[in-house]
Amino acid sequence: MTTEPTAVIHDIGYRHYDGPRLGRGNATMALAVQSLRGTFGLGRAIRAKIMPLLLIAIMFMPVVVSIGVMAVAKERILPYPQYMVFMQAVIAVFLAAQSPYLVAPDLRFRVLPLYLSRPLTVTDYVVAKLSALTVALFLLTAVPLTVMFIGELLVDLPGGARTGDYLASIGGSVVSAVLLASIGVVLASLTPRRGLGVASVIAFYMFTAAVSGMFNGILSSTGHDSLAPWALLLNPFFLTDAVQSGLFGTDPSVGDGYPAGLWTCLILLAEVAVAVSGILLRYRKAAA
Amino acid sequence: MKASPTTCFATERLTKRFPRVTALNDLTVSAGPGVTGLVGANGAGKSTLIKILLGLQPPTSGSASVLGMDSGTHGMEIRRAVGYMPEHDCLPPDISATEFVVHMAQMSGLPRIAARERAADTLRHVGLDEERYRPMGGYSTGMKQRVKLAQALVHDPRLVFLDEPTNGLDPQGRDDMLALIRRIGTEFGISVVVTSHLLGELERVCDHVIVIDGGRLLRSSAIREFTQVSQTIAVEVEEGLEPLAARLAGAGETVAVQGRTLTVQVAADADPGRTYDAVRDAVCDLSLNLIRLEQRRGRIEDVFKEPAA
Repeated sequence: MTTEPTAVIHDIGYRHYDGPRLGRGNATMALAVQSLRGTFGLGRAIRAKIMPLLLIAIMFMPVVVSIGVMAVAKERILPYPQYMVFMQAVIAVFLAAQSPYLVAPDLRFRVLPLYLSRPLTVTDYVVAKLSALTVALFLLTAVPLTVMFIGELLVDLPGGARTGDYLASIGGSVVSAVLLASIGVVLASLTPRRGLGVASVIAFYMFTAAVSGMFNGILSSTGHDSLAPWALLLNPFFLTDAVQSGLFGTDPSVGDGYPAGLWTCLILLAEVAVAVSGILLRYRKAAA
Repeated sequence: MKASPTTCFATERLTKRFPRVTALNDLTVSAGPGVTGLVGANGAGKSTLIKILLGLQPPTSGSASVLGMDSGTHGMEIRRAVGYMPEHDCLPPDISATEFVVHMAQMSGLPRIAARERAADTLRHVGLDEERYRPMGGYSTGMKQRVKLAQALVHDPRLVFLDEPTNGLDPQGRDDMLALIRRIGTEFGISVVVTSHLLGELERVCDHVIVIDGGRLLRSSAIREFTQVSQTIAVEVEEGLEPLAARLAGAGETVAVQGRTLTVQVAADADPGRTYDAVRDAVCDLSLNLIRLEQRRGRIEDVFKEPAA
């Protein structure tokens, strides 16, 4: 016995697309959003989600402890402006893990020509990748800081909340995110291999951290106390701390004080400018 | 079908010099709508021409236009209206074809929902089924070529540049790809510029062929002109090739026996049907068992044997 077919597949042939075609701005935004999601492992394999989740969990540990101490012992233990310097190793690992993910595969698997054969330009591509990493780094530090602030508001210690410090630390997050993202992308874009990119970013962090600490120690022990603070600025995290201190008047997280705020701001701007031009040069060359 | 512009692309005294090599030398050529083949040996300048047409590289001198837009000044508008399938691998291995093609559609300016629909449609048209949800690292060369083609078509361009689409494919995959290219040009109504260094395969799908060599134009003409020059019919019968040859020669046809095959020349000026009728009648009258009767066309390779104009 045969039954009547209930569904029939029709070959409807090729259909043209008459819908909207958005501009470069939308494409750049779509690329940035997709890249940002990717840095936290969203839309990627389970394996890629482990690292960001682990690092986010570590970022929240001091927050949980701080809120706990505020609630139980009624003491403020972690000043907001020092959170970034305190967590610098974790942030550096996040930067090292995610900046090569953003740029290396497109170079290695030669996806870049596909982007460039579309309305997107090299600059749009770089802007999308840089802003994705900047926003990711900002969220990585600003969300825990904000949770800590909300915690403090809820605990409601005598003497009021440290609103000024909190806002300064958010400003510091923005500054550090811009600096670290440009350093991360320029280092990662030099090699098409993701592993090498990870190694070069982490090596850069360890080298600058070691050198800045060493020079600072040598200079202060030999009596060059006026030069010693400059050595600290070699470490990007101390540099942003110095800028934060200069811009918002927060206490330095290390040492007795940084060089004048104007200089630290200029150094930071120069570093960002060098890194971003390096990225653009790199991609102009890759596109040709 | 969309209204096609009269020219798909045109170049005017186009020259591109690199520090060590001249890739394009005073090239003046144009192509109309339909499927255009761009033929030349490796290093003849085909890929450079495509890059200049896309507005990705400036020419050293001369000018180029695509769909009536100057590629030096309107690169962005051109890239919005065309699709490009590169010669090299360009697929990240750890994501699926669906995700990749959706993403590329968005990069062409399609909103996300439209990008999803178009990606599904396009992948179906290029013949990728369930495997489109698997990471592309595990794909065969044929499947990878299909994804590369899909990303070039997903935003419904008016023109696609396909750079060596049959590269690395086995004979069956090659046939499938060529059939697909023909469909894009006819059924989809999208003009196609396809490059190949294998001349024979392009005559099966192109309306027009441009041959370049060493960055210079060797020949540009409609496919009919390439092939009508020496049209012949190949006939193969089980037995009795000699009587058939004698009979056709007696009827005034130009015949030649090549091994087990009999080739009959079709005079360019005469009504071709007359020769076919003569072959059919002769085979019938002699009660022969016909094995093969096929049209043989002149090969594009022949243009390389002719002295360059």
